[in-house]
Amino acid sequence: MVADTVSAVASARPQIRIKGVVKSYAGRVVVNIDDTVLGASPIEGLIGPNGAGKTTLMRLIMHSTGLDRGTISLLPPTGGEVVLSNQSSNRMAHHGVVKSNQVIMDFDRLTILDSLLLAAAEGAYEQPHRIFSEKTVYKRHKDEIRHYLDFFGFADPTAFALSAGEKKLLDIVRCLLLKPTFLLLDEPTAGLPEDLTDKVMTVVRELAAAGTSVVIVEHDLNVIWNLCDEVLFMAEGSMILRGDPQSIRSHRTVVEKYLGEGHV
Amino acid sequence: MTFDWLDSFLITGLFSVVMVTGLALLLHLQLGLTRIANFGVVGFWGIGMYVFGVLYVKVDWSFGDPYQFLVCAVIATLVSGLAGLLVGWLIADLDTDGVLVVTLGFATAVQLVATAQDDITGGARGMGGLDFPFDIGKVKDNELLWLSITTAVVAAILFYVWRVHRSPYGRHLIAVGANERLARSLGKSTSRTKLWLFVIASAAMGLLGAMNGVMVRFLDIGNLGIDITLAAMAGLILGGTARVWGAVVGVFLTVGVFDIVIQSYLPLPREWYTQAIPVMREAIFGLTLIIVLLFRPYGLLGDMRRDTLMRKIHGR
Repeated sequence: MVADTVSAVASARPQIRIKGVVKSYAGRVVVNIDDTVLGASPIEGLIGPNGAGKTTLMRLIMHSTGLDRGTISLLPPTGGEVVLSNQSSNRMAHHGVVKSNQVIMDFDRLTILDSLLLAAAEGAYEQPHRIFSEKTVYKRHKDEIRHYLDFFGFADPTAFALSAGEKKLLDIVRCLLLKPTFLLLDEPTAGLPEDLTDKVMTVVRELAAAGTSVVIVEHDLNVIWNLCDEVLFMAEGSMILRGDPQSIRSHRTVVEKYLGEGHV
Repeated sequence: MTFDWLDSFLITGLFSVVMVTGLALLLHLQLGLTRIANFGVVGFWGIGMYVFGVLYVKVDWSFGDPYQFLVCAVIATLVSGLAGLLVGWLIADLDTDGVLVVTLGFATAVQLVATAQDDITGGARGMGGLDFPFDIGKVKDNELLWLSITTAVVAAILFYVWRVHRSPYGRHLIAVGANERLARSLGKSTSRTKLWLFVIASAAMGLLGAMNGVMVRFLDIGNLGIDITLAAMAGLILGGTARVWGAVVGVFLTVGVFDIVIQSYLPLPREWYTQAIPVMREAIFGLTLIIVLLFRPYGLLGDMRRDTLMRKIHGR
């Protein structure tokens, strides 16, 4: 059950190997992981108390924060290895590694439709000389965009996302339009009403069934217990435990450090 | 058709309006969409003007106009684009303060080099010998034709900018300006985007500089001061940095009103024209910037309306 001994065996879905990774701020180590593989199961939950290093680990994987040492690699199902920690953050999406944002982030001047077309548009259409390609991009992606807009119930896609919930959903749909092979979700349902939380969970299940590896950080533990095939428990920057939801939920260490006695 | 009502003052004033409108439109792509505060407009414009002028006057070409003009203008445009590549590379990952310092420093460096290399540029003495690439008769006729050609070039820039707003490229620029980190997480290479934007805008500024050299026919390092950058910036901010027509409206209300109405038609004392008016112009433009930023930060036309535009393009 101890994560450090997990080996990186090639599987049918992509995995991320985290090896010897250390990150510290002002001398305080916030992430220290010897050897762990994410994506061994279709949907993995990453839990732990505040300050455990979950969000920092996500940022390290996406290289939006630099490592002090160690390597983070993508192991595609076809074999080989892509060292993510050598890549610039914008290259992650090209390798299929996509992350939703914990803090609400949006493009304040772009409408919902703009934002989704931006995510879906191929780089070739975003060149300075392609000033007549808007209709082409729209035609190529309107069906998938319409699918998500209808599914999540966006009333007017040509308007701006105003509420925090709408922006959160928009962030998730942007990630989906990037067609991730490895999706990291950082508190995706925070601030969402129950019906939309259910819809997000449905989409995540469908995505995982189609071959995408999903790692989800979530404080709503019902989401974790109901959605995940495997749960990883992090504390004080280290990966302490991994196992099926039931075993993690009742594990003494998790109860003591995180859940509390009344939870089980 | 006669153009007797168009005197030399008015042609010069109109040329100035057209020229600054072109620069403000290019600045709109950088500042209005991508939120890159380029205070080095005059540097790229000046490189275009001086490279063109030096090549046109100092090189002994085996062919005459209009080919001489075309070759010199193309080289000047390319050199300005290369300068844009260098400056764009320097500022690609800098914050607003860094961009401000680098672009201002670049413009100052261009002026200093033009002054110091006086054996090539004429330095403080200036350099004559430039001319129109055609001769259709009187100077006024040539000036009028050149004004028309320059207006056509600026209209083409206006059309390009208008199309950019309606293209995935424009959306990409707006995203980079609004939230660069988020754009990067969507796989967008924001540094490369900013770099190419600088190359293209700088090259176009250089072309406008070369065209200005033809009109003035005398290169003076006094043209490489902050005036032209300030005029483009003041016009754009007054009209609205985020709107396509903001540059056009703003420049007409600033440069147009000052260079045409005040300079040409107000009965000002003759001695003011050498010293007082240029200083007044800079002071008024600076004051305009302060007032607009304080009371109407999005300018007269307001912020961009992507919701209206999206409905127009794709329906509801």
